[in-house]
Amino acid sequence: MTQTADTPRGLNAATLTLIMIGIGFPLTFAQSVWLNTIVAGLGLLYLIALRVSWRKVSLILLIALPLAFGSWISFWFFGTVDRWHLAWMYGSRVYAYLLLGMIVTMTVSTQRWLVSLHLHFHLPNAFVFGLLGALNMADRVRHEFRRIQYSALMRGENLRLWNPLLYLRIVLVSLNWSNDLAEAMTSQGFTENAPRTELIADPMPAWQWGLAGGLIVIYCAAAFGLRPW
Amino acid sequence: MDHFAVTNLTFAYAEDAPPIFQELTFAPEPGTFNLLTGPSGSGKSTLLKLLAGLYPQYGGVIQSGQVTVNDTEISTLQPFQRAAHVAMLFQNPSRQFAMRTVLEQLQFALANLQLSPPEIDRRIQTVLTDLHLTQFTHRALETLSGGEQQRVALASVLALGSSLILLDEPFANVDAAGRTQLLADLKTLQRTQHKTIILADHDLSGYAGLVDQLYHVDGTQRTLLQESPAALPATTPATPVQGQPLTTGPLAWHDLSLTVGDRPLITAAQFTLPASQLGLLSGDNGAGKSTLFAALTRQRRYAGDIRYQDRPAKQYKLKQWALQVAEVYQNSPDQFIRIQASDELALSAQHSLHPTYWTAERIAQAAARLNLAAVLDHVSYALSGGQQKKLQVLSMLIMGQPVLLLDEPFAGLDQASLQAVLTLLQQTIHDLQLSALVVSHQRQGVVSFMDYELHLADQQLQLIAGEAA
Repeated sequence: MTQTADTPRGLNAATLTLIMIGIGFPLTFAQSVWLNTIVAGLGLLYLIALRVSWRKVSLILLIALPLAFGSWISFWFFGTVDRWHLAWMYGSRVYAYLLLGMIVTMTVSTQRWLVSLHLHFHLPNAFVFGLLGALNMADRVRHEFRRIQYSALMRGENLRLWNPLLYLRIVLVSLNWSNDLAEAMTSQGFTENAPRTELIADPMPAWQWGLAGGLIVIYCAAAFGLRPW
Repeated sequence: MDHFAVTNLTFAYAEDAPPIFQELTFAPEPGTFNLLTGPSGSGKSTLLKLLAGLYPQYGGVIQSGQVTVNDTEISTLQPFQRAAHVAMLFQNPSRQFAMRTVLEQLQFALANLQLSPPEIDRRIQTVLTDLHLTQFTHRALETLSGGEQQRVALASVLALGSSLILLDEPFANVDAAGRTQLLADLKTLQRTQHKTIILADHDLSGYAGLVDQLYHVDGTQRTLLQESPAALPATTPATPVQGQPLTTGPLAWHDLSLTVGDRPLITAAQFTLPASQLGLLSGDNGAGKSTLFAALTRQRRYAGDIRYQDRPAKQYKLKQWALQVAEVYQNSPDQFIRIQASDELALSAQHSLHPTYWTAERIAQAAARLNLAAVLDHVSYALSGGQQKKLQVLSMLIMGQPVLLLDEPFAGLDQASLQAVLTLLQQTIHDLQLSALVVSHQRQGVVSFMDYELHLADQQLQLIAGEAA
């Protein structure tokens, strides 16, 4: 009964996060089409291995196509040196980033991800539960947004997305809600920085630390040592 | 048994603000059921939050005196220590949950107390069984009704083991059946587990025979007055609306059905809002009155047909619709789109649908009649609850949409203001031939202005006063 979060499949959420950041960051400075392709390919293989819905995956990859193509074409048209390489590098980089993100977001629930970051990277509890509470309110936020727009339309004004008044109202509402939630959580005994019972077991075996570290080291060595095309 | 005491307490929202309570001394008898009454804004919530230790942590300053549990000042305890003594149910049931499901919510609360996992399981099983909530264990909280959500909140409080249970207007979003059940649960907990209960409510009906002590928050003396529970009203029949023959009007709905999740709220309703007349929409909390308004202003999905001048609502752009069907919102800040009160009125005047009627002189007169003239240079959000209501109503009357829906527009108004608002409302509606429908839990002083009454109960919307055309 105490196991509430989904049963995890595949790598631990913390491992995946470490890989995402550990490779995503040097990827910004690396200049390799091959490495981008390998990163994206491995990410895709991981998603396939975990049997993530292929329709969703294809849809996301398709949506990213104009972005990748946009990067590609701007370097191809406006590049002065090495146009082919730069065009393909920036084009493939979009997919490398995307797949790195997808291995986390498509295989781990938000709740498990936050709990895992709390357990292994000491993310503060106030942040974890505050964010969970906020995410659970997403539906009501949408509703409130419509209401704010209607309140303006009734007065002959259209609050468009760039109107600061819209944000003033949203901020006022959010402050109210977050205060209500904070008071309720405090009343239910939630104490910042105090220990709590950890009900969700989230084992992170040593080999996963090793795997993440190994992948990052190999990537950096390849990107900044070997420097393939 | 825990002993709570408020001793010579002077409390204000800010260091230099006038105190809300002055030299207040109050100690609830352990194991009793206490009802706290007083008009909205009088300080009921403040007292409960002081007892819960939420104030001064979340605001305000204790200028003198103290709030103690078993002689320890409650604000010096950590939240997880306090929760074992006192916990609170809030007015907005849905805003008190950090987690998604009932089970996760209970686990969250108990994990805060650092209990062992088996003990957490045991306590959850017990409270869910005791409150007959086991079938909801894995349900998402947002799919529960207001009454069910409050019972889950009560289950958390119970699982935490708090001996003092505070409830702040817990029935504001709960229907009659939910209210009866929650009250019965509370009474049982008081009798069998000797819980001390303090419940704040502005509506006194249904408490006769249930409560041991009755307290009244006195805003002028800034203290608490004890009254005899015998003063509680037995259920009295509501003052009826003297129904008039109804006219016809532009807004109508047929076969209208509304659901929340998979729960039906209104089934196959039909009505035409009469023009130049003022109607009362009555029904229990949670029956679906605000939801009906949300559908009529196209803020939520509905099944069936809503028509304006015989054209389906969906054929109008939202922008056009908002200039036909207006709402005075229950929560005043939802209405305001300017900072200063005078700018609110100026904006309405600028876009008014009846500019020749609403001359600058007439607007000034109306503001004076509503006693708003002196506060027009204030920030709308900083006005008192009653002033905000009056500003809302006046801004929407100046706009003058053909259909005006008003959700609890009289909350927090004193007798004189109520009379002024109703007189202005009635006169404007006659002069401009508007259709107006009002939700108001308060009937006294209101029903005599009403031309008809629609009642919402058991998913049915019925005309109970007034003669259909």
